[in-house]
Amino acid sequence: MAERCAVIGVGQTHHKSKRNDVSIAGLVREAAKMALADADLTWTDIDAVVIGKAPDMFEGNMMPELYLAPALGAVGKPMFRVHTAGSVGGSTSLVAAHLISSGIHKRVLTVAYEKQSDSDAMWALSVPQPFAAPLLAGAGGYFAPHIRAYMRRSGAPEYIGRMVAVKDRINALRNPYAHLHLPDIDMKMVEDSMMLWDPLRYLEACPSSDGAAAMVLAAEDSISGSYPPAWIHGMAMRSEPTMFAGRDQVNPQAGRDCSADVYAQAGITNPRAEIDVAEVYVPFSWYEPMWLENLGFCDLGDGWKLTEAGATAFEGDIPWNTSGGVLSSNPIGASGMLRFLEVAMQVRGQAGEHQIDGARRALGQAYGGGSQFFSMWVVSSDKP
Amino acid sequence: MPESEALHASHVLEYPYSRSVGPVIGAFLTGLRDGRLLGVRGAGGSVIVPPTEYDPATGDDTGELVEVGPGGVVESWAWVPNPLPKHPLARPFAWALIRLDGADTAMLHVVDAGGPDQVATGDRVTVHFRPAGDRIGAMADIEAFVPEGGTA
Repeated sequence: MAERCAVIGVGQTHHKSKRNDVSIAGLVREAAKMALADADLTWTDIDAVVIGKAPDMFEGNMMPELYLAPALGAVGKPMFRVHTAGSVGGSTSLVAAHLISSGIHKRVLTVAYEKQSDSDAMWALSVPQPFAAPLLAGAGGYFAPHIRAYMRRSGAPEYIGRMVAVKDRINALRNPYAHLHLPDIDMKMVEDSMMLWDPLRYLEACPSSDGAAAMVLAAEDSISGSYPPAWIHGMAMRSEPTMFAGRDQVNPQAGRDCSADVYAQAGITNPRAEIDVAEVYVPFSWYEPMWLENLGFCDLGDGWKLTEAGATAFEGDIPWNTSGGVLSSNPIGASGMLRFLEVAMQVRGQAGEHQIDGARRALGQAYGGGSQFFSMWVVSSDKP
Repeated sequence: MPESEALHASHVLEYPYSRSVGPVIGAFLTGLRDGRLLGVRGAGGSVIVPPTEYDPATGDDTGELVEVGPGGVVESWAWVPNPLPKHPLARPFAWALIRLDGADTAMLHVVDAGGPDQVATGDRVTVHFRPAGDRIGAMADIEAFVPEGGTA
């Protein structure tokens, strides 16, 4: 990275199944204004805006960045749209960071959102195509066989998924912005919930949320705001096709390559020992143990053992998703940015009840599509 | 050489999207249902119609809602001599940008003027709402704008 870049402002909406009180413009402005206030800036201080959301077909609102430009104070400024399916919130953060690290801009506002109540993602992901077998299964139906493959390879017991579902919902009780607040959550409640896509039960799947996230990123000579900056120490994206001969859908090469790149930039050789807290895209419970392995927090086949031992719990040595994660809030386009934003909050010491004391270095990860788009960053309270 | 036959299939894609319109556009649409035209005060004091939640020039929040119209001025127009079934009127009409009294911006709507020689830039027009029982809170609650004082 040429120029140092830091997060100096964060904002997010209260994530809910239906934000009927706001328009899409109102939703993104809610998060953006909060990020500007956190950075102690106004619209006029921003050089460029980078926006991301999941595919336009979800809300049926084509190229929404065009009509949202005036809503985000972007008139007369560069505005970019990023498209990488579910990982888009992460990729959008990285495109914004590149505009700083390349020396092009000093302060960039980045925003991501989804208004699932205006849409139906399940439908949009399952549109029958001519000359192709209909999938009609949504995301869960796509991922369930890969989860079964992981269980077979690793010998993980069935209850591991339920443990993740309970752990992330207990964490969400500490996060006032989380969509799901289920104070009575326990293993039995998850086990009693409806089977959706074997082995995934209803409570092992993410909710469908309306919400937005925003960050202000700044160059070293343009830092502002009352909280300390979260410095970016490494950032990378990797992609691979949905299907090709020999593809490992359980442990995708693109994810391994992406984390290797980020760790090399950040000087991390032992992620479990050197990362204090992580926010990782876990929309279905089993993706916690799968990503523990993909991200190199343990050896292949051992991810579920870390979950089982409580290593990823709030009190564990590598707390994952202390915000409640995607399992507790899923405004799809914003979900990846929320991972990146939450780790910035951790190293800035502004995460409130879900703050990990003394968090100094943190990993944010997002994935999307058919586990094929990956984006990650490592942020720290220390200047690189 | 025989012409090869292209593979083709019918493909119907449909889904009913919904929209939550928020406090400003929502108030405007509710106003239409009630037979009132509302604008919003922008950052510099100008009145924007249809209203937005933000000043489009600055991004700042807009202020109070203000009633505008029912009359206004045609700022520009285009005649539609042969309306198609999807057009708002079955008879020839003008698409027009209309700046309502009290507003600083123009709004696109329909002028039911009879003929192209009966509409001109600068003409005064007034709103003609559908009957109250037929209004649903949508732009089409305004059936058309008509020349002030009736069609010439």
